[in-house]
Amino acid sequence: MEANAQEAAVQAVKQFGQSNLVEDGYSPYHCLTIIGQIEGHMILPPRNKTTKYEHVIPQLVAVEQNPKIKGLLIVLNTVGGDIEAGLAIAEMIKSMKTPTVSLVLGGGHSIGAPIAVAADYSYIAETATITIHPIRLTGLVIGVPQTYEYLDKMQERVIQFIVQNSRIEVETLREMMFRTGELVRDVGTVLVGEEAVRVGLIDGVGGVSEAIDRLHQLVAAREGQGGRK
Amino acid sequence: MLYTIIPIEDVLEGLDESPPPTVDVAVHGVLLQVEPLTHFSGRVQRLISSDPQAYLNPQYQPGTILHWT
Repeated sequence: MEANAQEAAVQAVKQFGQSNLVEDGYSPYHCLTIIGQIEGHMILPPRNKTTKYEHVIPQLVAVEQNPKIKGLLIVLNTVGGDIEAGLAIAEMIKSMKTPTVSLVLGGGHSIGAPIAVAADYSYIAETATITIHPIRLTGLVIGVPQTYEYLDKMQERVIQFIVQNSRIEVETLREMMFRTGELVRDVGTVLVGEEAVRVGLIDGVGGVSEAIDRLHQLVAAREGQGGRK
Repeated sequence: MLYTIIPIEDVLEGLDESPPPTVDVAVHGVLLQVEPLTHFSGRVQRLISSDPQAYLNPQYQPGTILHWT
C-alpha cells in the first residue's frame, strides 16, 4: 500500500509537475493548483496545459464536505481560458464555507482574476502579474448589434464578479480594462504584485507562508465561532 | 468563449488532430476513461463519478498510469 502511495506521488510529480500537499489526510489543508488554460466546453489541443473544470468542481465539493479538510489553498498560474468554466470555479470557491486563500504566482490573467478574488483572502507574489483586458469574440461573428450586446453581457459578468468579491471600484476596473498604451498589441492593464493590491483587486502581497498563516487564522476564527458542522 | 492572454491561433493549434481513443474501465465502482498504452496498462484521461471523494484520490487523477492483469 505504501509502495502504491509512493508511486502515486512520483507520478503526480512526473505528470503534472506538482506534488500532493496532503499525504493520507495528515495536512488539514488541501492545495488546488489552477494552471495553464482553464478548459471549458471544448477539449483544447494537447499542446495546451489545462485545468479541467469537470475535475476541479467535484474536488471543491469533496473539500467542502470532508470534515478532515480545514482549509483550501488555491495557487494560480494561469493564462486564462473559458469564461463559463472560470466563473463556475470562481463561484464554487466563493460559496464555500471552508476557509479559502488564493495565491497568484507567475500570472493570474484574464479569467484567472475572478478565481483569485473568489477566495476569502487573496495574495499575489511580488513578481506575479494579473492582466485585465476586454473579452473578445473570435471565429465566425454575425455582424448584428446583438453580437455586441452579447459580448457586453459576457464582459459584465466578469466585471461584476470581480467588483463584488474584491475592494476594487467598478470604474477603476473598467478604466484598466480599456486602457491603451500598456499592452503592446492590445488594450488593457498589467498589474504587477503590489499594484494589484493598491487598486484593491488583491488583498495582500505574499508567498506561501503568508497564505498558510492566513489559512491558520481563518480556520481558528471559524472554529472559534463553533467550528464546522 | 475564451478569455485569455494567449492568441487564439496558438490556443487552437492542432485542434483538428483527433484525441487518442479511450476505453471506459470501472475501478472499485468508479468509472475511468483510460487511454490504452499497452495490453496491460493505460493512462487515466477522465474520471466519471458522483462521489466527490473519488476526485481527491491520487490513483484516479488524470495522467495516472494504471496497470492491470
